Amino acid sequence: MKQVVSFIALALSALAADVAVRREGSAFRAAGLPATPPEGGWPAVFRVHVGDASMPPVMGTYAVDGADVIFKPRFAIPPDVACRAIAAAKEFRFAAAVRERKSTTHVAQVYPTAPEIPANQLKFYLEFSAPMEKGQAWERIRLLNAEGKVVELAFLEIEQELWDRETKRLTLLFDPGRIKRGVMPRDQVGSALIAGQAYTLQVDRDYRDAEGNPLTQEFRREFRVRVEDREPVEPSKWSFQLPDAGTRAPLRVAFGEPLDAALATRLIGIDGMSGALTLTANETTLVFTPDTNWESREYKLLVDTVLEDLAGNRVGRPFDVDTFNRITVRTNRGVVTVPFRVR
Amino acid sequence: MRLLLGCAAIAASVAFSAEGPSMAAGKVELKSADVLAFGPAGILFVGDTVSATLTAIDTGDKTPNKNPGQIELKAINEKIAAVLGTAADQISIADVAVNPVSRRVYLSVARGRGAQAVPLVMTTDASGKISELSLDNVKHAKVALVDAPSAEAKNARGQSPRMETITDIGYAEGRVFVAGLSNEEFASSLRSFPYPFKAADKGAGIEIFHGAHGRFETNAPVRTFVPYKVANTPHLLAAYTCTPLVTIPLSELKPGNKVKGKTIAELGNRNRPLDMIVYTKGGKDFILMANSSRGVMKLPTANLDSYSAIVAQTEKQGVPYETIAELKDVQQLDKYDDKSAILLQTTGGSMDLRTIALP
Repeated sequence: MKQVVSFIALALSALAADVAVRREGSAFRAAGLPATPPEGGWPAVFRVHVGDASMPPVMGTYAVDGADVIFKPRFAIPPDVACRAIAAAKEFRFAAAVRERKSTTHVAQVYPTAPEIPANQLKFYLEFSAPMEKGQAWERIRLLNAEGKVVELAFLEIEQELWDRETKRLTLLFDPGRIKRGVMPRDQVGSALIAGQAYTLQVDRDYRDAEGNPLTQEFRREFRVRVEDREPVEPSKWSFQLPDAGTRAPLRVAFGEPLDAALATRLIGIDGMSGALTLTANETTLVFTPDTNWESREYKLLVDTVLEDLAGNRVGRPFDVDTFNRITVRTNRGVVTVPFRVR
Repeated sequence: MRLLLGCAAIAASVAFSAEGPSMAAGKVELKSADVLAFGPAGILFVGDTVSATLTAIDTGDKTPNKNPGQIELKAINEKIAAVLGTAADQISIADVAVNPVSRRVYLSVARGRGAQAVPLVMTTDASGKISELSLDNVKHAKVALVDAPSAEAKNARGQSPRMETITDIGYAEGRVFVAGLSNEEFASSLRSFPYPFKAADKGAGIEIFHGAHGRFETNAPVRTFVPYKVANTPHLLAAYTCTPLVTIPLSELKPGNKVKGKTIAELGNRNRPLDMIVYTKGGKDFILMANSSRGVMKLPTANLDSYSAIVAQTEKQGVPYETIAELKDVQQLDKYDDKSAILLQTTGGSMDLRTIALP
């Protein structure tokens, strides 16, 4: 038995002397291996690792090319990750390329833009100038009170993080348990925001973008808090500044309060009209510029009832419904129509 | 076991219908792999938040395994990173699900952390070997979760930044339930799809209120839920983002219905429900719930129907629970076999996958 073992060891070392591995694009080409795979398959004599010896080898496929064996990883190993190939017990190291760190990304905007928000504010939208890396929000973003102390658990820290498709816009939801009346978190620790107080939303400079680079600078936004808003959104009370027929002048609709920026842009439209819709005056006013001239006739402003104001009050229904003092509850999603006439 | 829906007991009875006429073999196109749940006979449901779809994949993994062996995989995130040839910080594990037939463990994984991240389903078992579930040519069926409102449809402005993060998926009584949380509107979204999927099924949107405290109702989003029988009637036990635990009869979860759940417990402040399972021990049923900061909670389910709805404010009431404090930092939880659960636990920056005896 001893003899056999030493024979194999000899054979391996003889092999190892001639073995060489080089990178070829994302693949690894090994020369000097036997022409046929050993009993355990190619991984028994040729494999690639990232990380230390306790880690399993990189997954991939093997192919024979002439006298060489080619290992193609399932995914290309990034240039900034060191790896090593093991061929016939000989190790070949491939160093990580040094990555140049350059900050170009910043917080472009925070909605709402108003300097004052209700104490039952439901969400913030944080817009970055470039795609970001997921999984950092709850360590890199915080709410500070006027003394500069962190307001604990102000936001609903869900691990999935509410990003848009491009990972440029992050939605921060205030913990609804601290907004909704009559639930334990609110009764025990109260609201995250107190009327009359000032707060700062802080985003660390170390927040990494999708390229792994930190932001150009730390971001801070100060705001004041006013009393809670528990009134539903009422499109019938909105005021219209009407354009003249025969022009492409903008239609202006003032809501009388700031609305949720994302929802107001998406859920309000004019029946049968295409055009550009923007929000202005801290999201209290809609500006609609049509693609074609206005005609002298009646138009309809369409408002999806899912539209919310800053405190999550919806069209015809406040954020939480008081079931004793009954408010007309609109349960099914629908569209409210507000007619206006252009002359 | 008899009370558990969506597990082995049901799997056998509907196995033949699992591969419905809509299941065609081909490449599964995923933009993200978020929530996983098993249906009957090795059918894996994958919730894809980015493409707003629910895909049923026939894993073909349906050999029963009564003695799957215990799992102790330290630093599984690093091991998955090693297998996928990248750095550990470029790997995220969104969910863990156990195939109730084979007891094989499935993990939804993203390689990369930006919009270009590659979604994968990885699997492992007691041997510790990590493999990829190939999605190149498998039988699957897909339904869209898109529910475009009428005003928006008339006001197209390119791609909508709206996304709905899938927070949980569950299968019971021939239906798949999908809970979602939008990055725009707060309104709850719980959809129900009959399975096998029917063509062009957009899922029934269900509006759920938890009328917890006598006066105030919101249709807050459901965070996690588990199908369960209360007094022999199929229910969903749902945990909300604002801590109440609610029972909802399945029979009421119909398209367009306004459903009022009954709050049976409030789990307290600083406590975000992450995942739930139901199990039987010593002839009694329990709920095990992983939370963000309060350890794992164990709630007896005996006579859930006898608890009256919580109507008073403030006090911690309803179903009593005990906190298993030693089970800290549990991110994901699933039933492994009749005696054990599987946990994905964070320990000092890395993640461990391990089975534990059901408490």
